[in-house]
Amino acid sequence: MSEAFRLLLGGEAETWGIVGRSLGFAFFSTLFSFLPGVLAGFAAASLRPRWKRPAAAFLNALTALPTVVVGLFVYSLISRSGPLGFLVFLYAPAGVVMGQTFLALPIVASLVYAGLTKLDPRFRETLLTLGAGRWRRLLATAKEARSVLVAALVAAFGRVAGEVGVCMMLGGNIRGSTRTMTTAIALDASKGEFERAMALGLVLFVLAIVVNLGVHALAPREG
Amino acid sequence: MALYAFDGLSLSLGGAEVLSIPELEIEEGEVLALLGPNGSGKTSLLKILAALLAPSEGRVSFCGSPLGQGCALARRIVYLHQQPYIMAGSVSYNVEFGARSRGLGAREAAERAEAAMRLLGLEGFARRGHRALSGGEAQRVALARAIASGSDVLLLDEPTASADSASRELIARAIRRKAEAGATIVLATHDEELAGALGARALGLARGRIAEKEAR
Repeated sequence: MSEAFRLLLGGEAETWGIVGRSLGFAFFSTLFSFLPGVLAGFAAASLRPRWKRPAAAFLNALTALPTVVVGLFVYSLISRSGPLGFLVFLYAPAGVVMGQTFLALPIVASLVYAGLTKLDPRFRETLLTLGAGRWRRLLATAKEARSVLVAALVAAFGRVAGEVGVCMMLGGNIRGSTRTMTTAIALDASKGEFERAMALGLVLFVLAIVVNLGVHALAPREG
Repeated sequence: MALYAFDGLSLSLGGAEVLSIPELEIEEGEVLALLGPNGSGKTSLLKILAALLAPSEGRVSFCGSPLGQGCALARRIVYLHQQPYIMAGSVSYNVEFGARSRGLGAREAAERAEAAMRLLGLEGFARRGHRALSGGEAQRVALARAIASGSDVLLLDEPTASADSASRELIARAIRRKAEAGATIVLATHDEELAGALGARALGLARGRIAEKEAR
């Protein structure tokens, strides 16, 4: 453990390089998933009541998909023989970001949907009777539910920063290119080299605490 | 032609009939006060007029067309909840929102919002946040938003319920001005004094039925 702290506090370049890369991948994938995820959440929340429950169940099911399944799906798209093979994303940072984007999207959509359904029904009625058009309603709702949107963003970031399946399948754990905290931990632990694995585990632990505190602080209050 | 006309209206919620009004007409420019105890169906009736609730049976027409079609219901009416919803943001954002929703540009909306806020005694409230409003102030802000929208059909649910005497006077004055300008106003209230001051035709409701109807 003391060696793990030494790696972190001593600013060891490779360890912090892995941390930075992981956070960078998570940042971009969360960014790319945000707009489509928010729109999907809004669309689900504006469905007729009879369709809302199946839509919510579908979104929740997507959030529960194992990361390797998401990785496999994206792999089939970006592998050399896949429809997007010409992009040469496989075993490159772009491939990891793409896979994590697919992973984050349903998380954002599902949290946005859940947050919107908790909005006071008087809000919707007020918008309707004021005669606000579709876009004005959308913007007003985004403003009203901004804490929900930020909480969804933070939760999605936390989820993708700590996943391993997509990174491993699409990134290939290439040193200096696609190696992230989780894939580095898996590799180091398999080799019996626990110092860096422990150091990266500590970073992930702190990240998980910060993300959960953030989501808790931003989530809309009941009542 | 009546602005609203009911034909065999009935509303059931959760299997229980909460409203049954075989016949009712509301004329353009009329001020109608719905009176009655809690649970008499005043709010349900207002929500039907606002097209927020659909009748279980019967039909309601607006300007001669089935409610929700015809003469742009959403551009003419505005409904105020008993506990109005003030959106996250400042008072001026809320009041201007009413005008912007009806397609006004930023400058015209700001002018109209300022006039509405003046009418409701909300000078100096423009930058105040929605959380910093008392119940009576929130009702004044919501009414200012409704007036700024330019609606000529106001459906008001207990507009003075949370208001102190000063707020009540301001609200009553604003409603009176709208009525004098020719707006149609339907208000649910326990405040018979307010209804009298507005010269409203009284409609007494009891257990979802018309118990007393004042002649026009």
